Amino acid sequence: MQKHGQKEHLYKLLVIGDLGVGKTSIIKRYVHQNFSPHYRATIGVDFALKVLSWDAETVVRLQLWDIAGQERFGNMTRVYYREAMGAFIVFDVTRPATFEAVTKWKEDLDSKLVLPNGKPVPAVLLANKCDQGIDVLMNNGIKMDQFCKENGFVGWFETSAKENININEASRCLVKHIIASESDPVPTVEPDIIKPHLNSSKIVSCSTCFKS
Amino acid sequence: ELDLLPGEPKWLDVIERDLHRQFPFHEMFVSRGGHGQQDLFRVLKAYTLHRPEEGYCQAQAPIAAVLLMHMPAEQAFWCLVQICEKYLPGYYSEKLEAIQLDGQILFSLLHKVSPVAYKHLSKQKIDPILYMTEWFMCAFSRTLPWSSVLRVWDMFFCEGVKIIFRVGLVLLKHTLGSSDKLKSCQGQYETMERLRALSPKIMQETFLVQEVIELPVTERQIEREHLIQLKKWRETHGELQCKSPPRLHGAKAISEAEPPARQALEPVPSIILPPGPAPVPKARKSKEKSREKSLATPANRPGAEGNGAPGSARELLHPQGSPHHQSKESLSSRESEDTYL
Repeated sequence: MQKHGQKEHLYKLLVIGDLGVGKTSIIKRYVHQNFSPHYRATIGVDFALKVLSWDAETVVRLQLWDIAGQERFGNMTRVYYREAMGAFIVFDVTRPATFEAVTKWKEDLDSKLVLPNGKPVPAVLLANKCDQGIDVLMNNGIKMDQFCKENGFVGWFETSAKENININEASRCLVKHIIASESDPVPTVEPDIIKPHLNSSKIVSCSTCFKS
Repeated sequence: ELDLLPGEPKWLDVIERDLHRQFPFHEMFVSRGGHGQQDLFRVLKAYTLHRPEEGYCQAQAPIAAVLLMHMPAEQAFWCLVQICEKYLPGYYSEKLEAIQLDGQILFSLLHKVSPVAYKHLSKQKIDPILYMTEWFMCAFSRTLPWSSVLRVWDMFFCEGVKIIFRVGLVLLKHTLGSSDKLKSCQGQYETMERLRALSPKIMQETFLVQEVIELPVTERQIEREHLIQLKKWRETHGELQCKSPPRLHGAKAISEAEPPARQALEPVPSIILPPGPAPVPKARKSKEKSREKSLATPANRPGAEGNGAPGSARELLHPQGSPHHQSKESLSSRESEDTYL
């Protein structure tokens, strides 16, 4: 039921990060406003839809793509990433190894997906499970703001799906950057391309069979 | 003997993270560190020691969990080995190439089974791996209502991967196979959502099994399509990085492929068998009628195949001894419980 003159945006957002960091829990909290310790491990990919009243004139529909965290599913990410407009990269503050993997996920994302204007897709870093009281960030004294700057994140949040901390805020931050990047004038290098597209590098994976 | 070895820490870490995430509402797996989760750990760990080059794939956990609902850990382990090596070779390997290849095979078969669904998915550029990964890798154990899972698994053990393809094709055909059904699938996301939340009607045991039996998709067609897609794969991706043994279509093919020495030994385990479970070839015939009988086939497998495991034949002396026979995973499993207990 769209009011007269209301604009609607539809964005595909990726939620990526190592196995067991809480990607599914974050999405369930955000979309269904609840938390359970009993989520099944994600095999392949899962989806959810969140509708936001952005402002009086704008409705934003977010397609959240929940992507399996195990490394070997990384062989399928090219297909999962296609046409995404933004990404959350999640790690678990209680497990330093999942933070170390953040740069790996960011590189994977940027190597397989760019915006029409050639820029990387906006990405927000989520330091999840911050309710657990064990914080590798503080322990290691890593300066998160600087880390984000160096690695091309538009922002970062300490989140907890369990306690519902900062998830709405993180999402607003990402959407804000997506809207901003959309209004960026598209440079004239590739004038034919309207949508974000995969880096058309070596592998065209499975798309060949779709050419009718 | 694999049970006693320590195991590679990197796999153990991942496996432990998954233990409480398999059928979390099933009474066998509900408690942290309970017997179900302990056995699951042992089975999955043993597999990483059995095939260190493959390690652990997350999709193996639901498979192992379903097996453990029906048999003790050692038998479940050998069944898992058979599934990973004979029924679905390469599915869980590092590069996940086999499952991607099967996605292409499924899609190509769909062209014949339901041109409407095929055209719709092509138009919306929905790659098969977006919807079939979980279906195939978990043999529908996380997709279908429980009573249908049991029927599909029975047929799968008897007849092989053809059953998995057929189930996938039936679900696609009845979800996207007419212009009427496609009305509510305007965009890619709507279609994906529809495939994720399948109509209970088409997943219902009697309907689904009947459709699967009637669908004319044969082993030969799958093998032919496999060759075609393999050729295409080599053209676009290069050689397969994981060299899997050929896929065997069901219990009969597997027992025939055993070396002659094994064949000669075959009568031995079948004599030890208690009267309940039928030998594999018979189960094949009776599969549609008798769930109880065919359910015994997975339990037979470790003995029938031998695998050089001295313990597995002994296990057959007391099969079905597992106390974990209740299956309460799904709301729609009322019927299965009746038949099952």
